[in-house]
Amino acid sequence: MSEQKIDGFELKPGFKGMASDTGSDQTMFKGVHWGKAMMWIFLLSDTFVFSCFLISYMKGRGSTIVDWPNTSEVFSLHVGGVPVPLLLIAIMTFVLITSSGTMALAVKYGYEKNRKMCGWLILATAVGGLTFVGMQVFEWSKLIHEGVRPWGNPFGAAQFGSFFFMITGFHGFHVSIGVIFLFIYTYKVFAGHYDSKKRGWFTKMKGDYVEIEILGLYWHFVDLVWVFIFAFFYLW
Amino acid sequence: MHAGIIFLLVIVGSVLFHIFTPWYWTDIASNWGGMDSTITLTFWVGGGVFVAVCLFMVYCVFRYSHKEDRRAEYKPEDKKLEKILTWATTLGVAALLAPGLIIWNQYVNVPKNALEVDVMAWQWGWQYRLPGADGKLGTTQVRNIADNNPFGINPDDPFGKDDIMIESDVINLENNRPVKILLRSVDVLHNWYVPQFRSKMDAVPGTVTFYWFEPNKVGEYEVLCAEYCGVGHYAMRGGVEVQDKADYEVWLSEQETFQQLSARYEKLNLDGNKLAKK
Amino acid sequence: MSEEYDNNKSYQAQSSEVLDGSAGSINPDMDYVRPAEIPEQDLYHAHSFIEKWIFCQDAKVIGVQYFLTAVFTGIVGLILSWLMRLQLGFPELAGFMTAEHYYQFVTMHGMIMVVYFLTALFLGGFGNYLIPLMVGARDMVFPYVNMLSFWMFFVAVAVLMASFFVPGGPTGAGWTLYPPQTILEGTPGSGMGILLMLISLSLFVIGFTMGGLNYMITILQARTRGMTLMRMPLTVWGIFTATVLAMLAFPALLVSAIMMTLDKVLQTSFFMPTILKAGEVLEYGGGSPILFQHLFWFFGHPEVYIVALPAFGIVSDLISVHARKNIFGYRMMVWAIVGIGGLSFFVWAHHMYVSGMNPWFGFFFATTTLIIAVPTAMKVYNWILTLWRGNIRINTVMLWCLGFIVTFVNGGITGIFLGNVSVDVPLSDTYFVIAHFHMVMGIAPLMVIMGAVYHWFPLVAGKMLHEGLGKWHFWITFLGAYSIYFPMHYLGFIGVPRRYFEMYDSPYMTSAVGMNEFISIAAFIVGAAQFILVFNIIKTLKTGKKAEQNPWKANSLEWYTSTVPPEHGNFGERLPVVHRWPYDFSVPGAKDDFIPQTTAPSEVANTEVEKT
Ligand code: HEM
Ligand SMILES: [Cu+2]
Ligand SMILES: [Cu+2]
Repeated sequence: MSEQKIDGFELKPGFKGMASDTGSDQTMFKGVHWGKAMMWIFLLSDTFVFSCFLISYMKGRGSTIVDWPNTSEVFSLHVGGVPVPLLLIAIMTFVLITSSGTMALAVKYGYEKNRKMCGWLILATAVGGLTFVGMQVFEWSKLIHEGVRPWGNPFGAAQFGSFFFMITGFHGFHVSIGVIFLFIYTYKVFAGHYDSKKRGWFTKMKGDYVEIEILGLYWHFVDLVWVFIFAFFYLW
Repeated sequence: MHAGIIFLLVIVGSVLFHIFTPWYWTDIASNWGGMDSTITLTFWVGGGVFVAVCLFMVYCVFRYSHKEDRRAEYKPEDKKLEKILTWATTLGVAALLAPGLIIWNQYVNVPKNALEVDVMAWQWGWQYRLPGADGKLGTTQVRNIADNNPFGINPDDPFGKDDIMIESDVINLENNRPVKILLRSVDVLHNWYVPQFRSKMDAVPGTVTFYWFEPNKVGEYEVLCAEYCGVGHYAMRGGVEVQDKADYEVWLSEQETFQQLSARYEKLNLDGNKLAKK
Repeated sequence: MSEEYDNNKSYQAQSSEVLDGSAGSINPDMDYVRPAEIPEQDLYHAHSFIEKWIFCQDAKVIGVQYFLTAVFTGIVGLILSWLMRLQLGFPELAGFMTAEHYYQFVTMHGMIMVVYFLTALFLGGFGNYLIPLMVGARDMVFPYVNMLSFWMFFVAVAVLMASFFVPGGPTGAGWTLYPPQTILEGTPGSGMGILLMLISLSLFVIGFTMGGLNYMITILQARTRGMTLMRMPLTVWGIFTATVLAMLAFPALLVSAIMMTLDKVLQTSFFMPTILKAGEVLEYGGGSPILFQHLFWFFGHPEVYIVALPAFGIVSDLISVHARKNIFGYRMMVWAIVGIGGLSFFVWAHHMYVSGMNPWFGFFFATTTLIIAVPTAMKVYNWILTLWRGNIRINTVMLWCLGFIVTFVNGGITGIFLGNVSVDVPLSDTYFVIAHFHMVMGIAPLMVIMGAVYHWFPLVAGKMLHEGLGKWHFWITFLGAYSIYFPMHYLGFIGVPRRYFEMYDSPYMTSAVGMNEFISIAAFIVGAAQFILVFNIIKTLKTGKKAEQNPWKANSLEWYTSTVPPEHGNFGERLPVVHRWPYDFSVPGAKDDFIPQTTAPSEVANTEVEKT
């Protein structure tokens, strides 16, 4: 960002830059779009939501009277009769991380005003997200089929199912919201709304490719949260 | 003008109220006099600050009320004054905190010779259990609770057999002997609180919590529940009777142990079976 | 992307224009203000009645909507407090009231007052109205999201009020909603009531988040030219810091509400241990009730400051304007607000000293809690030092400020009792606590709200509220409220526990019958006195004196709008340019005893003004 020039203001790097930005008028984060700043702060707040969930999970798991289920067994997938731990989850994680990559590329092409590439890449991201949600549905049904319920399960402490469904459900909800927006944005990109600065349907704000970057921030965040959930549920 | 006078009266009134109040704490009946003294100390320091700040405010109202031909002073800050005030406040606060922490340290460290008393709470009532001759309480579990085992003592725990059960909401304590109150609840939060003892702690279902005190005044006291526990909260009362050693021993010897209770129920059962057979 | 940062033409015209009219001999550079970084905000003007007054995107209208809705909930909370006081003071007259009713009233009163009344009023009401005006913006940065925020809040209030009418009535779990009791029979409203409460709280959090993002980004990224952070009025600082707290604290409330809903609906056991009820062991097991308390107070303590910090900020501005003196130690005040805000995340367990948590936490949380007392005390000193050597107008607004100082210091001092672990042991869960928090976060912020209403009413409505009525309103409210809560501390010393439906059967409690009657009568009077304000407002709107622009001779930007009341877009064609902090009162050498923030240095070159 330091190469940007703002009239009457010299952007300085490092701590000094931060201090002079903070001390200046008009904006604190120089050259940062309002919408982007908003998304960053929303994500900070959302981080607290997920932290509360995960800390509760640690506390809950640490203090149950009954043993916690053996996760590498519960989450394993049977391939030709052989249980393969972490198989499904590895694929899910791979898909989600790949979709983060396509998202980043979409942002890049968006700023280059390359409408076609940008649109296809967003679509790819959306499909990746949808696949992830699909696999999550599959995993949930498998566990439910095996008797895991929010209020109890045959493998050990009841809290296992409670936390698992609640936290992955909450994350899945985030992914689903993201997928919906990705599809909407796919349409808007292909329809050229960002090139023509068409006003939004509800917000009445002028369209701009920066919206794609904002959605991208959200998408990367959802991805990052997944890595933590992955570590806490499947590796612990 | 009027404003200043009324504010002044409010402050003077507050001080007079504090001095002449007929409502103040109940006579203390435990070792926690330190809590009372810390309160008194905080009253002096805090009350002093309150009075000083408010009087200064009243002074300003009198002295600097609006006049067309006068200008206020223009002085954005006064580093030195601010520094002095910060340090003085910090010192004052530290002086109040220190006794508070010292007493808390005593509060959480239970003396070795304390008598353990199991206080069991439910919606909405209390009952008590004392260790028997072995001086140890048996372990318990909510699931074990039944008519013949009102405290849910684990039947295989040898320490539980001689436990003394007091199926009443009043318990007797020996004067000048520290007690460790072990709190548990079978349903929701409760809190075993005797104002005269100054001490309290929540009973939390699923765990055992504790606190201790040493009663030092013979008499009868009322137990209040001090943690909201549903509609019956306000009516969840109990009692404590602090007695001299001799009286206490007499009372103790009249209580039933777990073993005796079990035996009684077994007999009842047998009788019942016999009746049924006939 | 590049287009984002193009400078708007009208701005450039403006920056050179400021120099016109200044004395020739003065170096024009001293008036230099950097040109605009951000283009003009693209505002959507309303086209219909619905867009203008109902689904409105103008922050000022949204602020008024928030204000009115919050006041409506406040009146409900007030009526509930009357009913409670009737039961406590004159139980023989309250024969219609059962213990179930009482606990439902306590709960709804507490939750409404803290969350739906004070939080919504300060942040949604004052925040929306004042932030854009005070930082010199045309509107909030995301007007549409801002509108959604209000309507989400509205739905949350509707759901909350609906709980009065469902089978079983509203929840009676206490505003702290401690499990397991909250969702078990034995607590009134443990069916539909608690569910609606949890849903309503979740909606509130979502709605608030939308508003909070607006407040934060507007303050950080949409200030006008020359408006540095250290030139913002303390009102903005207070609301800003409170919003940051809310954005970080509400997540804990949301999470605990979700978990409790699942415990209720799906029989999970997040907070539920093994429970024996009516001789049967329930389906629950293995959960931790104390985990809920940690989550709740991680939200709950910052929540106290979410209410207090805007009040601190607003009262600083009111005192400064009406004492005609700069706020003493502005920088200290800013750091105190920010410091208190930061520290407030490390003190939550002082509400849990006797909760059965690990007792060693007591040392840590007592220390952090008393540390907060230091910046708080500094703020108090600075308020009274602002009065000192001032030129104080003793008008209605100032009276509310003085009332605030008395009640806030009183409540702050009792806070030192309760924060100091071992002193808290005898006092926790007694009426001492009730008296303490009503004084410090009930009455004191209320005093500020009232002062703010009298102060900004001329701006919002263009008319001056009646002073005489205002003074009656103040004195009855202040003296009444003080005589409710000052004696109430002594009930706590006696040992009367809070949340008691009845209390007259213990000998030492019987002694308080008279006091309880007195308190109740005072409570009725104080409540009724609030209708003086309602009357005053109605009368003023009808026949009141028209307000001149800037009737209090204040410096901050909200008084320098193109019209009074300000229209959509706030400042007419050109945004104001700021040259100084808002506290240049009584500057030696200046013609008037105030210098507006927009006055260029060259215009007051011969004064002894300090550079800000
Ligand atoms: C004149 C105005 C008010 C009166 C007469 C009043 C009266 C009461 C009474 C009688 C109680 C119940 C005490 C008990 O039984 O434990 C109560 C509780 C409470 N009040 Fe107020 N109140 C007033 C204003 C406020 C305000 C402005 C607030 C905002 C902070 C507030 C917040 C609370 C809270 C949080 C509780 C605790 C609820 C609970 O225990 O769950 N009150 N009030
Ligand atoms: Cu209770
Ligand atoms: Cu707190």
